Amino acid sequence: MSTRQSILVVDDVLDNLRLLSGILADKNYMVRPVPDGVLAISAAQAEPPDLILLDIMMPEMSGYEVCEQLKTDERTRDIPVIFLSAKNEVMDKVKAFSLGAVDYITKPFQAEEVVARVETHLTLRNLQRRLTEQNHIMSETLQQLKATQDQLIHQEKMAALGQLIAGIAHEINTPLGAIRASISNISNALDTSLQELPQLFQQLSPERQADFFALLQTALGTTEHLSSREARKKRRALKETLEAHGITQAHTLANTLVNMGIYRDISLFLPLLREENTVSIVQTAYHLFMQQNNSRNILNAVDRASKIVFALKNYAHYDHSGQKLKADVIEGIDVVLTLYHNQLKKGITVTKNYEDVPFIAGYPDELKQVWTNLIDNAIHAMNGQGELEISVQIEGGHPPKPSHDGEREMPSYIVVRITDFGHGIPEDIRERVFEPFFTTKSAGEGSGLGLDIVCKIIDRHQGKIEVESQPGKTTFSVFLAIET
Amino acid sequence: MSKKAILCVDDESTILTSLGDQLQSHFGDRYVYEFAESADEALEVIEELNKDGLEILVIVSDWLMPGMKGDEFLIQVHQQYPTIVTVMLTGQANEEAIERVRREANLHHCLYKPWREEELIETLISRLQ
Repeated sequence: MSTRQSILVVDDVLDNLRLLSGILADKNYMVRPVPDGVLAISAAQAEPPDLILLDIMMPEMSGYEVCEQLKTDERTRDIPVIFLSAKNEVMDKVKAFSLGAVDYITKPFQAEEVVARVETHLTLRNLQRRLTEQNHIMSETLQQLKATQDQLIHQEKMAALGQLIAGIAHEINTPLGAIRASISNISNALDTSLQELPQLFQQLSPERQADFFALLQTALGTTEHLSSREARKKRRALKETLEAHGITQAHTLANTLVNMGIYRDISLFLPLLREENTVSIVQTAYHLFMQQNNSRNILNAVDRASKIVFALKNYAHYDHSGQKLKADVIEGIDVVLTLYHNQLKKGITVTKNYEDVPFIAGYPDELKQVWTNLIDNAIHAMNGQGELEISVQIEGGHPPKPSHDGEREMPSYIVVRITDFGHGIPEDIRERVFEPFFTTKSAGEGSGLGLDIVCKIIDRHQGKIEVESQPGKTTFSVFLAIET
Repeated sequence: MSKKAILCVDDESTILTSLGDQLQSHFGDRYVYEFAESADEALEVIEELNKDGLEILVIVSDWLMPGMKGDEFLIQVHQQYPTIVTVMLTGQANEEAIERVRREANLHHCLYKPWREEELIETLISRLQ
């Protein structure tokens, strides 16, 4: 590729063409002389020159027309055009510029003038090209940066999740344990019942059979759940009551009855309890009751496991659309709390103060990352032991007074406050906590990007974040705009 | 005449009920079964059983509980009552903690949730003889 710049010279007068070619060739430009407009246009389209010197007064097609054509074609639009003409009226010059020319030289011209202007415009054109190129590079780089940022945010999120997985696995194992045990219990109880029942009904009188069913009904109807401590108390009390009524094997009976939720008015069942084989009667009832109880356990365990799986799916979800969705702030916080339940259980009491708040337009996945970062930091600040308070309220939005027409409502916000009672943030670093890559955690423990990402996410929700801290108490307040 | 006791400790009541049902179904009335939902409560129960003159044979305890964890609890119990057989039942494998209990509380066995009923019963039978 030639490093010489090429200039297309257009003039119907051959002497002029020769003169200009000579002047420009002397300055080491590559000159392409052309005697008319039509040829000029096709030459420019075929091999776009770096600059065009254009005579105006030409037969068949004037310089103005040539210029107009050049400016409509993409290939030639950006080539600088300098008009050369004997016409010297202001209107002629104005017309030239209005057609897109960059300069106007009147004939007769001085060689030095032509050269100076040509050089100037070529330089300008080069600078322009470089600028366009650089803009293009910047724009590509910006795209890459944005993509990287998105990736970083996603990685942060997955890293946080990775930390939680061990605890979450345990959380799921517990309901699974309950389910497995319950099913084997039901199976055993059913086998036992199938053997016990026929014998039982042969032995019991019709009245006692009725009592048996009454006992069973009462047991199946209980919904109250006793803690182990309460159950122990009730067992003792019932044992004493039974002994007072002269019933033998009071200990075993009391245990079984309390396990069935029967400990209140037992006078109805005294006849049954005085039967000779009362222990096996009551245990038969218990085996039947157990099946329903274990079924209930299974349902509860399944609910519990589902809740955890839901929280996981919800958290790991990555919305690619970039569109704002309806965000339920409270649900998002609760999902994060569910995932952190295992860590919190090890020594942190959580207090929730939720007001009724509306949905907002936002990015639910990103908001969960905000809660994750803030809750994780809070746990870290307390070394895993202490109290965590989370409140969700509406603030702002005072309605305009009646006397002021046209006064707009103050914007209202959902305010989420996360408070920990940990070591606090020293005043000298309080400003820095939101800085990217700033972290007080030891190397490898934290990327330092958490709060920076939190800020960016909150920006995208037209919100703000504030922190108040003293040793022993730190509160992060997140304001999310409620758009009406 | 005085029966011996088996104590189960877990903060989840459904686990306690399941354990109780399994023990009752296999050992029937041979033993007294007691339950506690925390290490602190378990220590109270141990006191009560002592007062009533009941000997505790086995303690089956969860590891992850609010307050005192299972490892600390079993180690404390072992110091006072070295003859009690200790079994851990846990949903989370904290290897360090389990090792500590092996060393300092003579841990007999560690069961993982979800546990198989046969494994629980066999573990107990092997030490209840």
